Amino acid sequence: MSLPEPGFDYQGCLAACAQGQRQALRELYDLESARLLGVARRIVRDSATAEDVVHDAFVRIWTGAGSFDPSRGSARGWIYSITRHLALNFIRDGARLVPAGEEDEPVSAVSEQQPGFDLQARSAKIFDCLDQLEPSRRSCILHAYVDGCTHAEIAQKLGAPLGTVKAWIKRGLSALRECMG
Amino acid sequence: MITHHSDERPDELQQLAGEYVLGTLPGEQQRAVQARLQHDPALRAAVDAWEQRLLELTTLAEPQQPSPQLRQRIERSLDSLGSPAPSTSRQPADSWWNLLPLWRGLAGAGLFASLLMALALLLGDPPPATPTYLVVLVAPHSQAPGWVVQASDRQQVQLIPLGETVIPADKALQFWTKADHWQAPVSLGLVKPGQTLSLPLDKLPPLEANQLFELTLEGVQGSPTGKPTGPIQFIGRAVKVI
Repeated sequence: MSLPEPGFDYQGCLAACAQGQRQALRELYDLESARLLGVARRIVRDSATAEDVVHDAFVRIWTGAGSFDPSRGSARGWIYSITRHLALNFIRDGARLVPAGEEDEPVSAVSEQQPGFDLQARSAKIFDCLDQLEPSRRSCILHAYVDGCTHAEIAQKLGAPLGTVKAWIKRGLSALRECMG
Repeated sequence: MITHHSDERPDELQQLAGEYVLGTLPGEQQRAVQARLQHDPALRAAVDAWEQRLLELTTLAEPQQPSPQLRQRIERSLDSLGSPAPSTSRQPADSWWNLLPLWRGLAGAGLFASLLMALALLLGDPPPATPTYLVVLVAPHSQAPGWVVQASDRQQVQLIPLGETVIPADKALQFWTKADHWQAPVSLGLVKPGQTLSLPLDKLPPLEANQLFELTLEGVQGSPTGKPTGPIQFIGRAVKVI
């Protein structure tokens, strides 16, 4: 379980980073590095590469803190977005060492609850909305967002045709948007 | 550079933004979205909303304790950066490295390499070994040569000024390289006008023919994004020396 630290002022932290206060970044590191590394590790599938991603993310948080715009979203969200997109860039550059589909997860039936996604006891709205999705669409969204899978990798994982996976993602996204507003 | 997407329906924009945040767009489309985000407020708003909607899914990834070295690595990288770049609320309208016509047009600049090779080799202090790659960096508009890059092996390059480059006091020159199949340029660091630099390329793939080198004008601390954001001052491609 990894939830944001309720008492921590993420936006204040970024403002302090923008002022050149190294201690602010250290506090952010203490608080978030393990979670960010977990997010990156899941996408790039390799601990050393994941550390490269988190390294780059913290450098970018530091150098970009001054350009953070709170009207565009939460400071914590910004930090996670930077990390995820760096991780996604890494695998798109062909740097993923373990190809998707070769790790422990079996190619499973579509309706099966995917291993690795424990949706129980999650209170955020997104989990309610995911719960309402058809299982195949839910799996697509989770494999893409959490595991950084491409359409083709998801198709392989779910044993479904590529076109079907694309349609599932499309409808899954529409349904999520409708559910979450 | 100006992209209009007036024929794009709102739900198409939402799909594009959603898939961008999911990470399922093909590489080229992903980069196209990244470029559009700089100047397309509707797309930016849609992407921001998706980032917020899906953010809690990051809690599904099991946290992992970083190695003790990671903190030190980050600290060292920040030391080498100095203080953060001054706050800039706006990015330039577009990233020049996404502009295909520019790259194509620059192929012609390679001609300068052959013309100026002799000149470069005559410039006093010859390097200890014969260079195997040579790049003449020219100003994009005037095509006036400003710097030479030479490599005597594929792991080390030298950047040599051919003249005096004048830049504003609150700016710095940042040196970049990009091979054809790389997705984006990689920074080789800041360069002072008139400075001769020797740089190891050991963190990068070996130098190859046609590899692009350029100097862009950035803030004094270098590009805040890790990618070129300022105008190109000098640019050229590597030519193998026979």
